[in-house]
Amino acid sequence: MKLHRIKALCLRHLYPLKRDFDLLSDMIYWPLIDTLLWGVTGQWLSSAGQNADEARILIVSILMGLIFWNVIWRSQAEVSRNLMDEIWNNNLINLFSTPLRVDEWVTSVLLLSVIKTSITLLLLVPAVFFLYTVNVFQLGWWIPVFFLSTTMTGWWLGFISAGIVLRYGPKAQTVIWTLPGILLPFSAIYFPLSQLPAVIQPISRIIPTTYIFESMRTLIQGGMVRPDYLAISFGLNIVFLGFAFWFFMRSFAYSTKLGLGRFN
Amino acid sequence: MNKILEVTGLTKIYPAEKKGKKPFTAVDNISFSIDEGQIIGLLGPNGAGKSTTISMLLGNLSATSGKISYFGKEFNENRSEVLNQVTFASTYIKMPWRLTVMENLRIYAFLYGVSEKTFQSRAKKFLTFFGVWNQRDKTMNNLSAGQITRIMLAKAFIPHPKVVLLDEPTASLDPDIAHQVRAFVKEQQAEYNTSVLYTSHNMDEVADLCERVLFLKEGKIIANDTPEKLAQSLNTAHMTLRIEDGLKRVTRFCKEQSLEVEISKRDARITIDEQQIATFLILLASEGITYSQIAIDTPTLEDYFLSVSTPTS
Repeated sequence: MKLHRIKALCLRHLYPLKRDFDLLSDMIYWPLIDTLLWGVTGQWLSSAGQNADEARILIVSILMGLIFWNVIWRSQAEVSRNLMDEIWNNNLINLFSTPLRVDEWVTSVLLLSVIKTSITLLLLVPAVFFLYTVNVFQLGWWIPVFFLSTTMTGWWLGFISAGIVLRYGPKAQTVIWTLPGILLPFSAIYFPLSQLPAVIQPISRIIPTTYIFESMRTLIQGGMVRPDYLAISFGLNIVFLGFAFWFFMRSFAYSTKLGLGRFN
Repeated sequence: MNKILEVTGLTKIYPAEKKGKKPFTAVDNISFSIDEGQIIGLLGPNGAGKSTTISMLLGNLSATSGKISYFGKEFNENRSEVLNQVTFASTYIKMPWRLTVMENLRIYAFLYGVSEKTFQSRAKKFLTFFGVWNQRDKTMNNLSAGQITRIMLAKAFIPHPKVVLLDEPTASLDPDIAHQVRAFVKEQQAEYNTSVLYTSHNMDEVADLCERVLFLKEGKIIANDTPEKLAQSLNTAHMTLRIEDGLKRVTRFCKEQSLEVEISKRDARITIDEQQIATFLILLASEGITYSQIAIDTPTLEDYFLSVSTPTS
């Protein structure tokens, strides 16, 4: 792996931030709008007949859920959207006609996902503090653990959607937006797992983020994080990430069998 | 001469799209080589397999069978190392449109390991040569097709590669700029001994630039020779006579001799075997047909292209 090629690819996706409102709105505008919307909705819900402590827990849980959902969303978007960006720009052949290796491309998109997610968090964390006095740092040392687990989830979602696009062509690009959406109702992001219908709960139990959001709510309620939950979450993430990466590489090999020219 | 690129038995068969359909052979067992510093033309009608061959030579399409080696190294096993010295430019492939010219060129220079300082000096040199230096801070979507093509060429030559694959680099250019591009390619070849594989639909351009031409048809190489020899292989010439007396007799006489003739005002354009011209003119004189001017066009590469491009089925 060559650092100069990873640097080149990072520049490729950082330069447009200077002038592309689409990218900035994905990173800044929509997360802030979500924060405002969910914060106000949470405040309204919590004011309806609950005591002050319970109301506070509700709003903090919703906003923390929102912040870590953005970590998943941005991490997956950097993997899959960066691939789509090359396809939309008619640049895929150009890139893979250079010495660039697939593992270097993968490393650069993972690095970009951390950089861009951090930019989003740098805005969201102060926003929820100033708007709703919700302090993300109350999660303490668990923040990097939750961040890592949700980032891993974003990565495997990204590799699966990028793999589907490489396998079936740009007509399948809708998976980039729809696949993460499947996780929303099953991951117990904004509500406890127990609130889900019993028939759906087994599905939620095989999704790694369910354990992270459950752990996060336990912490917010003053409880202790269950180590087995974290172990299951990381275990599932490692298995899914391994499968997603294998699928992506297989899809890449398949697309070179048909030729990257079919994406022009 | 060092062999820079060696292709042996290269074949690409696309699997059948649907059940009941046959697999499609795009490139069929082709073999050729390029020596250091050679400019080779890759010609053929649409669908002959030129782009498929170039895609396999760049590794963005896997071959069904056959072997590609650059600089004596197996391509598939040394892809990244080999491609560090092989670049590519095509009129039909673009660069990210939201990036400026310099941003794009810098990214590609870095991909080939060119330092920032070297990049700056080479980018200035090439963009100035192509007359687009004042466009360097514009985003790609603000450039004309011709300007983009020239920037793609700069992208290909900034790393000082040993081999450049150029896919119709002058397709969208005005004649003066196309001439400039040809001069540039020749200059790079002379200065750095760069080998070039060049595809174009402009036969004069290929005849001017390339010392050898590979002619592809239906996935097979049907000719591999110099442009002159390919043209000469036709034997047919076009002879134009300005007839003073006997225009009708010329038409009749050519028909008798089974020769193709086109009449335009007083001119008769006759397609004839070069070696029969003298005999034909003697016979014409014996028929009492007189002419005031004669022009003989020997066969060109374009004539060769037209003669062999007709599909066989």
